[in-house]
Amino acid sequence: MVVNNLKLLVGGVQLRDAVTTVTDILGKLFVRAGLHVLAMERGYASTIYGAHQFDPLVVSATPPLSYGDDRTDILVALEHDANPDASIQPNRDTILRHGKNLKEGGVLIYDSSADAVETSELKARGVKVFPLAARQIAQRDLKMEVTKNTIVTGALLRLLEFDMDYALFGAYLEGRFLSKGRGVVDINLEAARRGRAAVEEILSSNGWDTIGYRLEPRPSALPNLLLTGNEAIGMGSVMAGCRFYSGYPITPATSILEFLEKHLPRYGGRVLQGQNERESIRAAIGASIAGVRSAVGSSGPGISLKVEEFGLSGATETPLVIIDTQRAGPATGMPTKSEQGDLAMAVYAGHGEIPRIVLSAGTIEECYSLAFEAFDLADKYQCPVFLLSDLTLTDGRKNLPQTFFTENQKPVVRHGLVRASDIEGDGYHRFAMTPSGISPRSIVGTPGAIFKVSGTEHDETGLITTDPSKRKAMVEKRMRKMQTYLREDAKPPQVFGSPDGVPLLAGWGSTKMPLLDAQARLRAEGTETCVVYFTHIWPFPVHLVAPLLRQGSELIVVEQNYAGQLADLIQQECLVETSRVLKYNGRPFYTADIAGGVRQVLAGGTRVVRVGEEAPDAAIVIVPEGD
Amino acid sequence: MSVASPGTAKLWEQNAFPRHRIQWCPGCGDFGVLAALKMALVRMGVMPHEVLLVGGIGCSGQTRNYLNGNGFHGTHGGPLGYALGAKMVDPGLTVIALAGDGDTLAIGMESFIHVCRRDPAMALILMNNGVYGLTRGQDSPTTGLGKIMEEHTEEHPPFVDPARLAITAGATFVAQSFSGDPKHCADVYVEAFRHPGFALVNDFSPCVTYNKFNTSNWYREHGEHIPEGHDPSDRAAAWALLDDFDRRGKLPLGIIYRAPRRKKAHARLPIWEEELTGIDPAPMFSAFR
Ligand code: SF4
Repeated sequence: MVVNNLKLLVGGVQLRDAVTTVTDILGKLFVRAGLHVLAMERGYASTIYGAHQFDPLVVSATPPLSYGDDRTDILVALEHDANPDASIQPNRDTILRHGKNLKEGGVLIYDSSADAVETSELKARGVKVFPLAARQIAQRDLKMEVTKNTIVTGALLRLLEFDMDYALFGAYLEGRFLSKGRGVVDINLEAARRGRAAVEEILSSNGWDTIGYRLEPRPSALPNLLLTGNEAIGMGSVMAGCRFYSGYPITPATSILEFLEKHLPRYGGRVLQGQNERESIRAAIGASIAGVRSAVGSSGPGISLKVEEFGLSGATETPLVIIDTQRAGPATGMPTKSEQGDLAMAVYAGHGEIPRIVLSAGTIEECYSLAFEAFDLADKYQCPVFLLSDLTLTDGRKNLPQTFFTENQKPVVRHGLVRASDIEGDGYHRFAMTPSGISPRSIVGTPGAIFKVSGTEHDETGLITTDPSKRKAMVEKRMRKMQTYLREDAKPPQVFGSPDGVPLLAGWGSTKMPLLDAQARLRAEGTETCVVYFTHIWPFPVHLVAPLLRQGSELIVVEQNYAGQLADLIQQECLVETSRVLKYNGRPFYTADIAGGVRQVLAGGTRVVRVGEEAPDAAIVIVPEGD
Repeated sequence: MSVASPGTAKLWEQNAFPRHRIQWCPGCGDFGVLAALKMALVRMGVMPHEVLLVGGIGCSGQTRNYLNGNGFHGTHGGPLGYALGAKMVDPGLTVIALAGDGDTLAIGMESFIHVCRRDPAMALILMNNGVYGLTRGQDSPTTGLGKIMEEHTEEHPPFVDPARLAITAGATFVAQSFSGDPKHCADVYVEAFRHPGFALVNDFSPCVTYNKFNTSNWYREHGEHIPEGHDPSDRAAAWALLDDFDRRGKLPLGIIYRAPRRKKAHARLPIWEEELTGIDPAPMFSAFR
């Protein structure tokens, strides 16, 4: 019997089968019961209706290191109709795609309303199969097709022996539907009972008293929240005093726009849906000129469209937070698939040279804390600050205690904003030369501190100039801010384990979770490694990184792109050699990908491992050196 | 907004700080715009620190540097975007975009159309000279005004009429002026600055160096004040007026269309530390439980 440790995957036809209603309800119930939920590998299509969608949910008693491997304990196929392309008919898309990853002794529930599915192969592997005519029960018995997912939910609750008295489920339904009338709550409870009855029959006819998995509520003193990385970025932005946000709809950044549209006005802020990517960033720059903390969010293609304005923010020393929720590029790429392909763009994009800061989040907690920090740094250094996230994080959900947000709240500090009372005489110079490179900044409306600001080169007063010595001084003043940053605010990479004489595994972004998981797995096999994980990537903190890297026996950089963008940066800045484990097929890194890749590099013979389509190790493609 | 005081007039008469040397060709129409802006701002009684002048890329965009008040100068086609953001933050500011026909109607066209629709309470003085001056004489989207063209090509299409475009796009204030008559310009600007929505002033501001067709004299001959009896609040009348002037080969000067929209008032957004204390995250929690 496995208690409080499983991966559940729900699949179906996008929009029609409302896949996420099941995972959302279950996720909330599990979190309310004190369990930990990690749901990071969402699979959905950029079309709206009809494609295959799936949503895995890892449930555990203690916070999991990662979502583990692409292996499922319980598979739920919501679609009622067969995939006509299947070689074995009838069959369900979800079963075809994910059945092969079902663990031995796992569980399959599928909608058998139309027909039964040939599952002898799965059964031979010890999978317990539950054909559940959910759609039929919903239509015929309850006369309400939408209840079909509640029927499935009821079946799952029974199979997991969880919330059998519906104390949690009932409360959830009341919270959600009571405003629509008691009847809505009751029909859903009835649907759940029907689902339970149906699987009860299958259990007894097979002589099973359990499915081998069970979830038990755990005492939890603290209320928990289940939220996505984008929602965490939204919350972090609100708490950081961001009061103007703009964005053009784009996957997967849109949910930040939607979150802030809902919440920011309550905090006195405004949210602008730009008519295009450029209007978005220009309005955010204008808002910053008027003094408010502002941000713009987008993803790959939209970030590319904004590049000209990065230079403007840098040259005019206008604070701006730019959130890039990376998706697989180039061009339109794969809008709903994850990748870490925009690091080089964040660090370098634009003509000329500007001071800029690049932060990267690897967990939902970091989405929140780095969003806060991004606004602080933008304010202090008066330059664009990039906050990178990736699709695994943007849409991935995790439970966090409410206290994570309520405790250790930091106050908003407006660095260097000049007030009228600070001004003496007529001598205010917007771009005054200072040792730190940071000049006191006035905003529109400050008596005595009128500014002339331009993206054209200028002197201390803002006067346009091409004078060589003034130009030189102004370039140096701007770039000096990055020296100040490196002294005062740069953070070393997070180090997990001791680096001395062991292979170092470096990474950034959502790869953090599987990296730590892979480290644990390698350790269990007797291979000690040290994980070096980067959040503050640019300006590159060479003084903090290089000595650390020299302590390891070798450096393996794990990232979700083709070239190895962080690896290139490390090589360039620290003059150390790197090996690389790379994955760019749109799916997140699984623990087995990393553990297997590292094993191959350590075995020698390759410097670059490109992860194949299928985890684990078997499908890893070894590319000869020189590629 | 402050009340006019004798001191205000002096402030606006002063050149900007920092003091930029004016680098327009002698006789450039933009001198008239500059003079008219000073007159209008003095009459408005606003203080320079309350004003944000957002310049476009081009000769006209330099105006912001020859005048007191805060100035911001960004990318080509960008002024309305920056101005929009600033105005949304602080409704108390007087925000004025100063840009040319290339910046506004070529590279900045999508911004222009949508800002007309958005209707922020700010003004655009569009210094329209039918040519790219700063890059030395290329055709702009308003090239060809007043020329009879027998044939067109893809390379040289008919000109864009910003006034008609603005009305179509939903602007609530559309006026025209001729920079050779700064007094009249100033009258029009004051109305534009006082308008509680987006105000377009299409100002004919000749480029004496590169547009040898639409010269000052040409504008003087073709410009004609809008008759007293015109009702600018009537959209059909505005359209009929434009048709009538077009038919007669004339350029209407004055307020063509003015129909303020009902708008929701908005307070200045929180900026200062004391406005950002004790932020409570709890109201955001409900959806995550
Ligand atoms: S080139 Fe034309 S628009 Fe530019 S300053 Fe000279 S006259 Fe004026």
